[in-house]
Amino acid sequence: MHDRKHKWKTMDAATTILLAAVGLIMIYPFIWMISVSLEQTANLALPFPPRLIPEQFAWFNYKLVFENNALFLAYWNSAVVAFFSVMLGVASALLGGYAFSRGSFKGKRLLYFIVLATMMIPFETRLIPMFTMFNDLGMINTKYPLILPSLINALGLVLAKQFFDQLPEGLRESAKIDGAGEFKTFFYIFVPLTGPITATVAILAFQDSWNSFIWPLVVINDQDLRTVPLFLSNFSAENGGRLAGITMALAAMSILPILLVFLFFQKYIIRSVALSGLKGE
Amino acid sequence: MSLVNAERQRALVRSERQPASRLESRAVWYVFLIPSLLGILLFTVYPLIESLRLSFTKGVEERYVGGANYAEVLASETFWYAVYNTVYITTFQLLIAIPIGFLIACLINGLRRGSNFFKVLFYIPNATSMIAAATVFLAILHPDGPLNYIVQLLGFEKIVWLSQPVSAKWGAVVLSVWHWLGFVIIINLANLQAIPIEYYEASSIDGATRLQQWWWITVPNMLGSLTLLLVLGWIGGLQRFADAFMLGGLQGSPARSLHTVVGFIFERGFGGNEYGIASAASYILFFFILLFTYLNTKLLKMKI
Repeated sequence: MHDRKHKWKTMDAATTILLAAVGLIMIYPFIWMISVSLEQTANLALPFPPRLIPEQFAWFNYKLVFENNALFLAYWNSAVVAFFSVMLGVASALLGGYAFSRGSFKGKRLLYFIVLATMMIPFETRLIPMFTMFNDLGMINTKYPLILPSLINALGLVLAKQFFDQLPEGLRESAKIDGAGEFKTFFYIFVPLTGPITATVAILAFQDSWNSFIWPLVVINDQDLRTVPLFLSNFSAENGGRLAGITMALAAMSILPILLVFLFFQKYIIRSVALSGLKGE
Repeated sequence: MSLVNAERQRALVRSERQPASRLESRAVWYVFLIPSLLGILLFTVYPLIESLRLSFTKGVEERYVGGANYAEVLASETFWYAVYNTVYITTFQLLIAIPIGFLIACLINGLRRGSNFFKVLFYIPNATSMIAAATVFLAILHPDGPLNYIVQLLGFEKIVWLSQPVSAKWGAVVLSVWHWLGFVIIINLANLQAIPIEYYEASSIDGATRLQQWWWITVPNMLGSLTLLLVLGWIGGLQRFADAFMLGGLQGSPARSLHTVVGFIFERGFGGNEYGIASAASYILFFFILLFTYLNTKLLKMKI
């Protein structure tokens, strides 16, 4: 028995070392990105051989990035779009999820099926009509096309529905006896209980919004309205491999917000990824 | 008489009022659904129908041309080359990422301490945007980048990754494996934790080794989630755009070897304003995705 325990320990240690080694390879591109962004000579040529720690530290790449108005604008645009997308997405997911969980109305099953089916339809099939629609509305080169489609948040709605399903029905009955209508019951009894699921839905919506690329690429041409991924892709397309130091500093800056959100809320994110995968979304 | 009448009247009132009030209480649920239904109508149903209509038209005047766009797309060598590239990159992405992700998930799952740390560590690339990831990989695939450093360490000639069709595609494979691996690991971990512990306990009593348990209990129980990853991988892979676009630009250079199906839709739709052609191609893509999903679920007898 004792021998077996000992064996376990060495296996654990071996596994940990192996995982740490593979994990280092996984994370290496980011470490290298930061290293290049801090390297004195990186703007002339990529440091060769590649190294983990810069030979000569220099901050000027970040200084250039900070002093650049265009990046600040891109950040601002991404933040505004993300904020309103998250608000819309969370509101519609919670309201819809509650109705599908607690409501009884005609066409409930069909409507729920339609919500699930929207998850299967590739975005590209809707790309051109979405563009022409916003174009007809005069909304190209505005933030509206980046925000409004968040109204439909099928995954968030499904997650919210399942969360509401777990709450006891007694909650609703007691509120009803007190004379509260459906909206009052929803806002005062149920919404305050939704903390974890609201966090999950909000983070997923934030990630979607912050990382979104093809749709902003289609509807935004104005330089001043570019979101962070558009700015980054423009910059790296224009400069190729020439300005490696600045490019890596930009990439690092673009990752920072999403990385912080991820590290803070990793529990929620990982659980929701697992849930969404289990559902086959 | 009057009593009966009053009773009847009351019953009448009740029967009239009750359906009305029930209707009212049902109507309130539609109010809850307004945002979602509006979203579905405006951003899913309408675009889907409009896209289908556009796929049968040509030019700005939207002249009806029947199936001509579909015929043109299906006869286009550029389109089929884009399909080939997309399938090529996705096939290798899945062939590499799913087994490796599965093995790493098994290792993390076996740990008694630190499993959460590794979960987070491996998932980080997937949390970041493909644009940032691809920006970094443009430098990694650079002739003087780290990948070539390793290639040279192993005693091979330097490769100019993004200048040859095959090596450029492999650049995209490496990028997509790296970006997707964390997702594979998380899905596998969730399913590993769902395998009843009793199976392992019972087999331990029978004297099974860890390796035997892995092969006879873990692997069979994970076939469902591996299939799911295959389906999800194909759905996502067929829609790939950002990675190939970043490495190869609008035309998927070199020599269109990084031109994907979505790249084709994007180029014809927004580069050439050929909405009809692009819409037809997008419906063909939709069909491919449905077909792959169907085949995958049928072949591996899985329920979604």
